[in-house]
Amino acid sequence: MTQLYLWPANLTDMVGSLLIIIFSFLSLRYAYLLTKNQPDNFLWGFLFYFCMTLAAFAISRAMGHLVKQVLLISGNREQWQALAPLAGGFNTLLMTSLAAVTIYYHKGIEGFKAIEKKAGSLKSTNRELQETAAQLHTMNMNLEEMVEDRTKELSASEKKFRNFFVNSKDMVYFCDASNQLVNMNASGLEMLGYSFEDPPSLNLLDMFLSEDDLDTYYEDILRMGFIEDREVDFVKADGSVIHILLAATAIFDEAGDFTGCEGIAKDLTRVKTMMAQLASSEKMASIGQMAAGVAHEINTPLGVILGYSQLLKDDFPEGTEEGESLQVIERQTKACRKIVADLLKFSRQAESRRENISLNEMLTDVLAVTEHSLNMDHINVYRNLSESLCSIVGDTEKLRQVFINFINNAHHAMEENEGGNLYVSTRNSDDKKFVIATIRDNGHGIPDEIKGSIFDPFFTTKPVGKGTGLGLSVSYGIVQEHEGTIEVESPIEEQEAGEKGPGTAFHVILPAVCEEGHSVTS
Amino acid sequence: MIHSNGLNKTHCLLLLTVLLILPDQAHALQSHSAPEGIYVHQLAHIFFISALCYLFWDIRRSSFPGKGWRFLQMFCVCMVLWNIVAFTGHSMEAVINASDIEVYSGYLSAKIAGPISPAKIVYYFTKFDHLFSVPALFFLYLCMRSLYRRSCEEEDR
Ligand SMILES: Nc1ncnc2c1ncn2[C@@H]1O[C@H](COP(=O)(O)OP(=O)(O)OP(=O)(O)O)[C@@H](O)[C@H]1O
Ligand SMILES: [Mg+2]
Repeated sequence: MTQLYLWPANLTDMVGSLLIIIFSFLSLRYAYLLTKNQPDNFLWGFLFYFCMTLAAFAISRAMGHLVKQVLLISGNREQWQALAPLAGGFNTLLMTSLAAVTIYYHKGIEGFKAIEKKAGSLKSTNRELQETAAQLHTMNMNLEEMVEDRTKELSASEKKFRNFFVNSKDMVYFCDASNQLVNMNASGLEMLGYSFEDPPSLNLLDMFLSEDDLDTYYEDILRMGFIEDREVDFVKADGSVIHILLAATAIFDEAGDFTGCEGIAKDLTRVKTMMAQLASSEKMASIGQMAAGVAHEINTPLGVILGYSQLLKDDFPEGTEEGESLQVIERQTKACRKIVADLLKFSRQAESRRENISLNEMLTDVLAVTEHSLNMDHINVYRNLSESLCSIVGDTEKLRQVFINFINNAHHAMEENEGGNLYVSTRNSDDKKFVIATIRDNGHGIPDEIKGSIFDPFFTTKPVGKGTGLGLSVSYGIVQEHEGTIEVESPIEEQEAGEKGPGTAFHVILPAVCEEGHSVTS
Repeated sequence: MIHSNGLNKTHCLLLLTVLLILPDQAHALQSHSAPEGIYVHQLAHIFFISALCYLFWDIRRSSFPGKGWRFLQMFCVCMVLWNIVAFTGHSMEAVINASDIEVYSGYLSAKIAGPISPAKIVYYFTKFDHLFSVPALFFLYLCMRSLYRRSCEEEDR
C-alpha cells in the first residue's frame, strides 16, 4: 500500500459532525427538561450549562467541519482558508469554556452537597422528631389510658373502703398523734349520740370515761403498735356510759414517726346487759332447783306439823290460850306450805299442759274471782279486751296464776292510796305474731333502783307475812315457759286521757296462734 | 468564609497580574503571531482533558445513584480519548508536510502520498476522531435521558 485515500475520513467527518449535532441537542433537550422538572437541583443546572456549552461547541466544530468539507469539495479552498482561523478560534474558545464549566461544577457541587447534607440532616432530624413525636403520642395515649384505668381502680377501691367506713355498724375512727379525732363514721357518732350533720371536734379524752384507760390505750398503742379486744367505757354526748370493745392500730408515716391511730369500736352495752340477764336467769334456775329439793323435803314435815296441830286443836277448844297458840301454829304452817307450793311452781315441777287458750276468756275468769276484793278496797276495774284477739297455746292454770299475781301486786300497790284504777287490756301486736296483755295500775309504782331485781326470787318490799317475793319470779318462769316475755313500765309514759301520776304496767307478750278469720270474742 | 477568602485571593492575583503587566502594556499591545493559535488550541485540549478527568473522578467519588451517571462517566472516557486523538492529530499536522497530501483530481480523491511512514498512518487514523466523539455524545444523550426518566419517576413517587 503506497497511499491512503482520505475520503473515508472525510465521510466519517461529515456523518460524525451531523450525529454530534443531533446528540448534543437531544442531550440539551433532556437537560432542559430536567431543570424544568426539578429547578432546585443544582446538578441539573450544571448539566444544563454543560450541555449548552457542548451544543455550542458541537455546532461550532461540526458546522466548521461541514462547511470545510463543502467548501473544499466545491473547490473554494481560499474561502475556507479565510474562515478556518475563525472556526478554529471558536472551537478553542468553546472547548475552554466547556472545561471551565466542568471545573466550575466542583465548587457548585460542594455547595450543593452541603445544602443536601443540611437538608438530609434536617430531614433525618425531622424524621427523628416525627418518630419521637409519634412515640410520645402513643406513650401519651397509653398514659392516658393507664391513668384512666388507675383512676378507675383507685376510685373503685376508694368506694369500697368508703362504703365499709360509712356503712359499718361499728364505730370506725381516725385520730391524729394528739388523739384528736380526724374522722368518725356515722355509726360511731350515732353510738356516741352526736349528730352526723354537725359532727363535733372530739378528742379521745372526751370519749374515754376513765383517763387511766386512755393512758394505757395510748401507751399500748405506742409500745405495740396496736391494741386488741380492749373493753373500755365511753361517755356519750348525754353523759351516759356505754361499754365498748375496742381495737386500734397505730399509723406511722414513712419516716416511722407516729402520726395517729385508727380504731374500730363495738358497742357491748347490750351484750353486757344480756350477759347479766343470762347470769341472773342461771342464778334463778339454780335457786329453783335448790328450792325444789328443799321444798320437797320440807313439805312432808310441814304436813306432819299441820296434822298434829289440827289434832291438838280438838283437845284445846277455841278461846283457850293453847287453842289460840295452836291456831297461830296452823296459820303459819299453812303459810309455809303456800311458800313451798309456790317454790314448787317456780321450779316448774308441775307438768304443763298445752291447749288453745283465749286470753280474753281467761282474764274475764280471773277478774270475776278478784274483782270483789278489789272493789272492797275502792279499786275500779276497767277492761279493754280486743274483739279480734288471737288465741295462744299454753297451760291455763299456770297462766291464770300469772295474771292473779299481777292483779294482786297491783292491788297491793294501790291499797295504801285508798282506791285506784286497774286497767286490763289485750291486743294483737301489729304483725299479729304476738298477743299482748297489759295489767296497769295507778299505784305507787316501782322505783328505778329495784326495777332490775323485782323478778328475783324472794325479792319483796312488803312486810314479812304479806309477801314472799316469789310472785313475779314464778310468773317470769311461767311466761318464759310459754316462750313469752314480760315488760315492766313504771312510771307509765303513755297516759290515757285524764290519767296522770305514777303507776305500773306489766305487759305480758305471748306468741299468738292467729288463724285467718279465727277470732275469739269475749 | 471560604467564599470571601476565594474572593480575596482572586483580588490579590488580579492586582498582581495588573502590576506585572502594566509596565509592558505601557509600551505596546502583545502581538499574536502564527503558532500561538495551535498552542492555545492544544492547551485547551489539555485543559479539557483535565476537566473531564476531574469530572470522571468526582462522579466516581460522589457515587451518585443510577445508570445516568455511569453513562456520564463513559462520556468522559470517550471524550478524553477523543481529546487525545485530536491532540495527537493536531501534533501530527506539524509533522506532516503539505506535499504529503496529494490533491490531483479534486478534494474527494485526496490521498496521503507514499511512502507510508508510521507518522502518516497515525495522522490518517486521527482523522477518524469522530469514532470517539460520536459515541461520547451518544453516551451523553443516554445519560441525560436516563437522568430525566429517573427524575420523572421520583417526581411521580
Ligand atoms: N304493781 C306494782 N306496783 C308497785 N310495785 C310492785 C308492783 N308489782 C310488784 N311490785 C314490787 O315488786 C316486788 C316483788 O313482787 P312479787 O310479786 O315478786 O313479790 P311480792 O308481791 O312482794 O310477794 P308475793 O310473793 O306475795 O307476790 C314487790 O314487793 C313490789 O315492791
Ligand atoms: Mg306479789
